[in-house]
Amino acid sequence: MTAPTRAWSSPADFPSSPLVLNSVTKRFGGLVAVDEVSVAIEPGKIIGLIGPNGAGKTTIFSVVSGKCAPTRGRVTALGHDITGWPPHAICRLGLCVTHQIVRPFTDLSVLENVMVGAAFGGGARVTGHDARGEAFAVLEFAGLAARADQPASALTLAQRKRLEIARALATKPSVLLLDEVLAGLTPSEVVQAVALVREICARGITILMIEHVMHAVMNLSHRVLVLNYGRLIADGTPAEVTGDREVIAAYLGAGTEETSHD
Amino acid sequence: MTSARTSRGALGAPALGVALAFVPLAAPHNVTLLNLGFFTFLYVAQGLAWNILGGFAGYVSFGYAAFFGLGAYTTALLWLHGWTPVLTFPLAGLCAAVFSLIVGVPTLRLVGPYFSIATIGVGEAMRILMLNIGITGGASGLNLPTTVPSKTWFYLAALVMAAVAYAIATWVRGSRFGLGLAALRMDPDAAETLGVRTALFKNVAHVISAFLVGVCGGLFATYFQYLHPDTVFSFTESISLVLIALIGGLGTIWGPILGAAVFYAVQDYLQTSYPNFHLMVYGVLLIVILLFEPRGLAGLAARIAGRRRAPAPAADSPATIASKPAGNTP
Repeated sequence: MTAPTRAWSSPADFPSSPLVLNSVTKRFGGLVAVDEVSVAIEPGKIIGLIGPNGAGKTTIFSVVSGKCAPTRGRVTALGHDITGWPPHAICRLGLCVTHQIVRPFTDLSVLENVMVGAAFGGGARVTGHDARGEAFAVLEFAGLAARADQPASALTLAQRKRLEIARALATKPSVLLLDEVLAGLTPSEVVQAVALVREICARGITILMIEHVMHAVMNLSHRVLVLNYGRLIADGTPAEVTGDREVIAAYLGAGTEETSHD
Repeated sequence: MTSARTSRGALGAPALGVALAFVPLAAPHNVTLLNLGFFTFLYVAQGLAWNILGGFAGYVSFGYAAFFGLGAYTTALLWLHGWTPVLTFPLAGLCAAVFSLIVGVPTLRLVGPYFSIATIGVGEAMRILMLNIGITGGASGLNLPTTVPSKTWFYLAALVMAAVAYAIATWVRGSRFGLGLAALRMDPDAAETLGVRTALFKNVAHVISAFLVGVCGGLFATYFQYLHPDTVFSFTESISLVLIALIGGLGTIWGPILGAAVFYAVQDYLQTSYPNFHLMVYGVLLIVILLFEPRGLAGLAARIAGRRRAPAPAADSPATIASKPAGNTP
């Protein structure tokens, strides 16, 4: 594992990258939500995407997952230019996103929720596969097997977040985009969720995660991207970005000189 | 969603169907009974078909009279050109299916009430159009040949239609396709990000149900021998299917079956003695159902069965409409 020591990465730096953003810009009317972001993600790593509220993190996820097309720029994933692809095609290619506000299929059981991912995601290309069996295996991995037959509406928030991840995992992604899966969890639940994210990474799945729980994201990430006003302002190891003057200014306001980090 | 869970209740309906098939043998000359059966089965078939889009996928359409009417007129016109009516049924279905695709591709992009309103527009536009073009006979209607099969034949044909619709609805519900429809009903965006081709699935559901309703229209034309746009393209016809599914239980298999039986029985019984009174009965029924048992008669039956079987019926939250088979109902 070689953490990138340079402060900036261009798409050319990782030719085998499973996800490359090339000058991606997304405007909503006069608002530039994402501004000329170019970045390449290394395979098999956990990459944190942080930034103040409104920095454009979730918009980047929306562009990458196909929910909205970029105003300018290209997105390349797993060897395909996926710019403008519909979300279901991107999911089947092997890139799955979870939602910041969990969106379980409330009328379906926990198992059936995960079966949707298993039956329609990337794994579905294998003919004659057993969506139910696969879904159950994923539930066991995510620690929800005991809840398999309950309606999804009966789950706690922490469990719903797990379900959101389990459902995405069932699509057999190569790249998993996690949008604030730790938000709203109690400290002990955060510890469990962090362990789950590590296990997912250990399976060889590349993870790009938006997170506000700093100690967790700094702990987990091999590399951290910092976004502010739609622009990528820092890119490096957790230690590098926490010491970055522009990052400190973005979070705490310009002019703050004395801030301690450990 | 599984064969294991659906198989338990799957036996009831085929057994009922086989039993009903012997009714004409027992009472071959009871025209009232055979007519009652014909219309009930025709509504069962249409209710089940409507429910594939309206219940499973959650797209409540108020425009199914267009499919019914197109099917009816397809059969009628081909019949007048010398075709045997039965042979026109597939074409009646096909005509309705093609039309459903034409209107479905743009309207199924709309969500919730917007879709429903658009379908009202489509249905009414078709009625007005048919009233004003020559090929349908316009406002003077269309007289059809009087050489028709026996009442027993119609009874059995409608029963077969209901059985086919039941088989298709049951298959859809237990299939991967049905799982995708359930997912997109609850959250289209989440379904899409999990790989469900939501636009395709909605349209396929629409086409399947329109096809079945089109065939029902063809069968109706053969039976009625006279067609008028205000009959087969009427808004009442569209509303009937919505009512049947709502009264019976949206998104269930047994719902449209029970709903159609109640719907037609009420109409048939009341219409002769108290014209239009049945509309009030439907209204009251609808309000009571939406207030007290949103899962309709099927939900009510499941609740009663659950109470009898287990002391804790609470496990059956209204949330499980789609996932629980209607199999628990008698």
